[in-house]
Amino acid sequence: MKFSYNWLKDYLEKIPEPQQLADVLTMRIFEVEEVKKAGDDFLLDIKILPNRAVDCMSHLGIAREIAAITKTKFKEPIGQINESHDKKTSDYLAVEVKEKKLCPRYSGRVVLNIKVGESPEWLKNKLETCGLRPINNIVDITNFVMLETGQPLHAFDLDKISDGKIIVRRAKKGEKIITLDEGRAERELNDNILVIADKAKPIAIAGIKGGRGTEIETNTKNIIIEAANFEAVNIRKSSKALNLRTDASIRFENRPDINLTLPALERCAMLVKEIAGGEIAEGAVDVAATAVKPWNVGVEHDYIESLLGVKLASGDIMDIFEILALPAEIIKKDKSIFYEILAPTRRSDLQTAEDLIEEIGRFYGYENIKPVLPNCLLIPALKDEQLIYVDKIKSMMQGFGYSEVYNYSFISEDDKEFYGLADLAEVLNPYSRDQKYLRPNLAVGFIKNIQENKPYLAGSRFVNALRLFEIGDVFFEGGDKIVETRKFGGLLFMENKKSGEAFYELKGVVETLFDKLGLSDVWEDDYIQGGLPINFKNILQIGKVSQIKIGDKAIGWLGKINEDILERLEIKGRVAIFEINFTDIISFINEEREYEPPSKFPAITRDLAVLSSEDTKVENILNVIEGAGGGLLDDVNIFDIYENDKEDIKSFAFHLVFQSYEKNLTDSEVNKLMEKIIKAIEDEGWEVKK
Amino acid sequence: MDINELKNKFQELMEKVSDKKTLADLELKFLGRRGEINDLLKKIKDLAAEEKIAGGKLINDLKKEIEQKIIIKKKDLLVAGQDLIKRIDVTAPGSRVVSGHLHPRTQVLRKIEEIFISLGFSVIEGPEVETQWYNFEALNIPKDHPARDMQDTFYVKNPAGQEDLVLRTHTSPNQVRFMEKNNPPLRIIVPGKVFRNEATDATHDFQFYQVEGLMVDKHISVANFKAVMEEFFKRLYGPGAKIRLRPSYFPFTEPSFEVDLFCVFCQGKGCRLCSNTGWIEIAGAGMVNQFVFESAGYVRNEWQGFAFGIGFERIVMAKHKISDIRLFSSGDMRFLKQF
Repeated sequence: MKFSYNWLKDYLEKIPEPQQLADVLTMRIFEVEEVKKAGDDFLLDIKILPNRAVDCMSHLGIAREIAAITKTKFKEPIGQINESHDKKTSDYLAVEVKEKKLCPRYSGRVVLNIKVGESPEWLKNKLETCGLRPINNIVDITNFVMLETGQPLHAFDLDKISDGKIIVRRAKKGEKIITLDEGRAERELNDNILVIADKAKPIAIAGIKGGRGTEIETNTKNIIIEAANFEAVNIRKSSKALNLRTDASIRFENRPDINLTLPALERCAMLVKEIAGGEIAEGAVDVAATAVKPWNVGVEHDYIESLLGVKLASGDIMDIFEILALPAEIIKKDKSIFYEILAPTRRSDLQTAEDLIEEIGRFYGYENIKPVLPNCLLIPALKDEQLIYVDKIKSMMQGFGYSEVYNYSFISEDDKEFYGLADLAEVLNPYSRDQKYLRPNLAVGFIKNIQENKPYLAGSRFVNALRLFEIGDVFFEGGDKIVETRKFGGLLFMENKKSGEAFYELKGVVETLFDKLGLSDVWEDDYIQGGLPINFKNILQIGKVSQIKIGDKAIGWLGKINEDILERLEIKGRVAIFEINFTDIISFINEEREYEPPSKFPAITRDLAVLSSEDTKVENILNVIEGAGGGLLDDVNIFDIYENDKEDIKSFAFHLVFQSYEKNLTDSEVNKLMEKIIKAIEDEGWEVKK
Repeated sequence: MDINELKNKFQELMEKVSDKKTLADLELKFLGRRGEINDLLKKIKDLAAEEKIAGGKLINDLKKEIEQKIIIKKKDLLVAGQDLIKRIDVTAPGSRVVSGHLHPRTQVLRKIEEIFISLGFSVIEGPEVETQWYNFEALNIPKDHPARDMQDTFYVKNPAGQEDLVLRTHTSPNQVRFMEKNNPPLRIIVPGKVFRNEATDATHDFQFYQVEGLMVDKHISVANFKAVMEEFFKRLYGPGAKIRLRPSYFPFTEPSFEVDLFCVFCQGKGCRLCSNTGWIEIAGAGMVNQFVFESAGYVRNEWQGFAFGIGFERIVMAKHKISDIRLFSSGDMRFLKQF
């Protein structure tokens, strides 16, 4: 909120220089975001915090704080109200509050025979420094008193109100009003919105904005000044519903002091008489549902010391209460010392012992509290198991040459349609179109990463691929719940590489990683029961995708991105991704290992080339070789696969290692085993190249 | 030929040696089976016994000396010889080793976790889609309260129909989540992604990271909080790091503070990173409001504690002088590969 330096000065015996003032306010109560010269004045933009908005959205409130902080005298504006004795307010104004809960207090005064005109310079300057546009003397005075006291006021033209009767009621559904804001739009109301009405129609939206029909105009003679208190939650809801936030509504949302209405009215009426002339009718109309009186708040001396972590003298604490103008007394009970203060009704933030400790803390000065390391029990520090493995996996992926991304958790409606996504968790109030849904997978983000990085990949001598990974949460609607699960995914994009290379590198990464994590029984299944799930259906290429399984449990997908998508996005190159349920990995991790001593006897190796039809899988052949080779066949590695598309032939080259842990193998023993293996292969209808 | 003559002859020839071949010839000439030394040894066979012993010693000394000199010469030639072999062009780029990069967030987070673990804080996690109760009500932020405006919120549609889900606006819901299941004394940090529904610029993004901290025991004080924060920042930025506390307001702490870090770049003189104030606003904090203890099921006024939320990117940005927060979520390799 903007404050005028000169204005604050009016209420203080002494005031520091503007920048110095900003510094002390920042260290003792609110951050001052800006100090700016404004004509003869300075503007201070002060960030009023919600707990003190109740009293500090006003020059008097801030001046009181400055007085306390700088230990100077606070000067309340004084003056004697000069009322007319033959004209009574009640003769001109009657108020009926139908909604006592929504309007706990409504006070009004009447000033007659005023002259509407331009405001004097001092008044215009002060309003302008605070960012308000001067309108006419009456409106300006109500604004001035609001900025001074924090109590919003509104002036009506008395002669435009039928019978001088004001009714505070809920709006009728569909009822309309033209408000006094810049747009002067006609607004349609709902029945939760409180209005100020006369017999015929609403004349203002309570606590938010005045209406056009009763506004102060140059020919206005007699006015009603309203100072009321409206219920905060309803004001907040109405203001949101109407999309209309005003200086008044912001203050009412913060529950201003209910006892402020009469003094503010008096101040306002006096200023009107001083500036616009006229006669102040005697007395005020004041409809109050409840009375709020100052209350006691207590705090124990030991608790103050314990929570702040400092030793304090009772006298120092009482001094702080005194400079804050909080009447306080010391109460001694047995060996304990308590303080009890009487909180003025403007300080609704003072309710608990801790609230008082905060006041003592900030005036004692947090900079004066000496740091003391906590003296406490030793508790072993643990880290979530998930996080331990997040770290491990990230380091491994980095070692494999993959870079980590943290993509946005949101996707757009366009993404949803483009990838044919469904069951998405929906954001109800996105700020931009890119935030319509929460991401159901990491893949959509990875594909965006290719598009964004593509222009920079070419031309660099060594970069011809993009290797990325991410560990992050994804979301979808599962039944009547939003399901949040952690995924671990990787992307490999290669320009100008031959088919299959991206897939097999990524598969190698996954296999090595699983091996290092001690996950055994991991395998790739290309029989996908029920087809691909909806959120991968259009992303992965059927026939070029495998389901990663641990035992019977499906934990994720590894595959190539659909050619159609790549084409539509103009991505030229090979792209493979994997995406795995992170929590599933964790549940299978077993890092226990037992050392196996290597054999003392030399191994014998043989190579084997097999020709088969194109639809034969490596795994089929391996099974046959391993079955026939028996226990002495220690290891089989595939070192080449060649596909001849023209002849529908595939050829495989294997490297077989024979090894005994008990004796030296002889060539003839191995030859016999090889014959057995070859026979088994030929029995399957495959050919062995000799 | 006497010994001195032989020695001089060796010296003379040795000085002329400039390559391996002549050195090998010289070695053969003097030390070979039919070399000069052996010749000399043969000659002294005929001498008297005493002379034989003395002569033999002299010859052996000379032999050792020659051997030594040849070894030294060999080494010299080897070093000199390097000038002659074909050289590697060391200016050509090295072969490509594929190197991966950990995100700067991860790198700094690891450092933060390490420091807090050493101070006895456990590291835990919580969900990103949160209920309004944990995100607001349990933390003393009632519905329709102006304090809700301090954080612009993304609301998420609940398929069950209630209007109760949000993307967490801070990591603080985990204070209550953790305390519901654990009794004091406790010390935790909770790193995580948080979301704010607002316009983005170089210093604001709608998705960023926080590290929540919570310490609860019988007598935890503001003084304790200051000590833990100072220790943390000293370990992160070096022993010169300074902090200050300013009054602030958060509904879930009382008293509340902002934690400012003395600007490590300009040493308080004022620079772009600290908006010319000399201080960088780095965390919100305070003493846990008793209301929050009650939300977690504790008895009011039985415990005291502090809580803080560190704006994580701010630390990373300050550490690496990164000028735009949106780079963190960009996936741009030109950014990532620098870490």
